[in-house]
Amino acid sequence: MPKRLVFVCSSILVLALAAACGGGGNDTSGLPPAPAGGAPGGATFDMATATGTVSGKIAFEGTPPPAARIQMSADPYCAMSATPETSVSEEVKVSDGGLENVIVYVKTAPAGLTFATPAAPIVIDQKGCHYSPHVFTMMVRQPLEVRNSDMTLHNIHVWAETNTPVNIGQAVQGMKNNINLDKEEVPLPIRCDVHRWMNSFAGVFSHPFHTVSGAGGAYSLKLPPGTYEIVAWHEKYGMKTQMVTVAGSETKDLGFSFSAAAAAD
Amino acid sequence: MSRHFLEGGSIGLHRFALFTSFCTAFLIFVGGLVTSTESGLAVPDWPLSYGMFFPPMVGGIFYEHGHRMVAAFVGFLTVILTIWTCATEKRAWVRRLSVAAFFAVLTQGILGGLTVIYLLPTAISMTHACLAQTFFCLVVSLALFTSPGWKNGLPSVTDKSAGIGLPALCGLTTAAIYLQLILGALMRHTDSGLAIPDFPLAFGRIIPPFNSPNIAIHFAHRLGATIVTGTIIWTFSRIAREFKSYRMLFRPALTMFALVVVQLTLGALTVLTAKSVVPTTAHVATGAVILGTSVVLTLRAFGMSGHEWKPGRARQSGI
Ligand SMILES: [Cu+2]
Repeated sequence: MPKRLVFVCSSILVLALAAACGGGGNDTSGLPPAPAGGAPGGATFDMATATGTVSGKIAFEGTPPPAARIQMSADPYCAMSATPETSVSEEVKVSDGGLENVIVYVKTAPAGLTFATPAAPIVIDQKGCHYSPHVFTMMVRQPLEVRNSDMTLHNIHVWAETNTPVNIGQAVQGMKNNINLDKEEVPLPIRCDVHRWMNSFAGVFSHPFHTVSGAGGAYSLKLPPGTYEIVAWHEKYGMKTQMVTVAGSETKDLGFSFSAAAAAD
Repeated sequence: MSRHFLEGGSIGLHRFALFTSFCTAFLIFVGGLVTSTESGLAVPDWPLSYGMFFPPMVGGIFYEHGHRMVAAFVGFLTVILTIWTCATEKRAWVRRLSVAAFFAVLTQGILGGLTVIYLLPTAISMTHACLAQTFFCLVVSLALFTSPGWKNGLPSVTDKSAGIGLPALCGLTTAAIYLQLILGALMRHTDSGLAIPDFPLAFGRIIPPFNSPNIAIHFAHRLGATIVTGTIIWTFSRIAREFKSYRMLFRPALTMFALVVVQLTLGALTVLTAKSVVPTTAHVATGAVILGTSVVLTLRAFGMSGHEWKPGRARQSGI
């Protein structure tokens, strides 16, 4: 039955072609750069009027768990380019008894204010199969640039729940992509599915009152006079909140404390 | 390739269908690896991988791109199987079945692409997992229908016992296994595999507290395992008692019984090793093989029961 055979063969070919061509137009790597400038309406808040300071130390109680060594043999390039800094997990980083990489922020910004979006991009670099920075904060619509400085490939997978999730591949060294985050979301995990150990956390805010604790667990926030609920979030130890009132140009000391015994898992 | 080899009456097509079935079982294992190693999004683009046909197979790409390559191979085999069947097979319903297998593998490929593009939505990932099992059943039944044993005419057997007939019992078992595989896929793709962390008890009790949908899904899969094991034991003991002399029935029944023991062990190991990659993935693949075995048994039970149905009619018409 040659007629039937020809029909079957040609329909298979057509369908196979359709399948191969379908879905090819979905390229998320060409996102437009985020526009600068704050939300429309209302006077733009002037950071110079944030005269008060809330600062302190994120103390760590107990013995920090030993930093886990990262097994990078799944990608020879990663194993080869690992440095002492990049080859240990940054999940719990304690220095001088203080916990680093804690996102500290104002839960609700004063009402009726409009905040300018910084035009300067936040840059995440992938170097030695490691994200730097490991934890960062930014404002909504602030440009977020992801770079691949490695001679291997990475995918940048933004595990957003409120924002639109993003998964971009960067196949070659030197690639740059912009990611648009236009909604508040904290924490926002970023992960590489090629190298499972690579992860990073972002805090995306509609206001500028946020920071990440650094060496010794120290942090500092500039705030306009008022009463605030301050939140401290850590990827392993979870969230703590405290109320604080700052007047004029005073500096309030506000310490947080996380303990080894209270691991979130 | 001689003309005789290509002809529908030859064993070539049967062997090819059998080979496709083995490759499909392997493909299900490889697909299971992608989920077990959480590598489903290690390649963000589809149908190309990082814009290439062959990206470097590092990290999670090894599993995701490996799955794509094995899948492409099975797709290729299916195209050949469909063309070969349509060209040489005299029974129209077998030809139609091969076309169905082709459309299943095509849909499966597109669903696989959609899971990547839409970042693993549960509904699509689950459909992809369930269609994989369905496709496997189609290829296995094609291998069965083209086998000499089937085409030479199955012996006719009469059910001696009252109550549920053997074909119905086997059909029930297959349905139970299929539903259990759907529950398993739901559990995997909602990340409920460790929602109950202990085994054989659940949170130290027989019935766990249903604090989350994940616990409910996980518990339903354990309950399903009990039901499936029950129906398999029922089927096996029935065949061992009444049809032991029919190897066509006894062998798949025995295989199914042995595999369900393996499967229960693998399921327990999955929980007890906190979803270690090897037992978890082997559990998925063994589930598929049990389903395939049950399909063979069910089709043979129907074929031998003397019921008026398509293959029987085809046999009567002298083909
Ligand atoms: Cu990576």
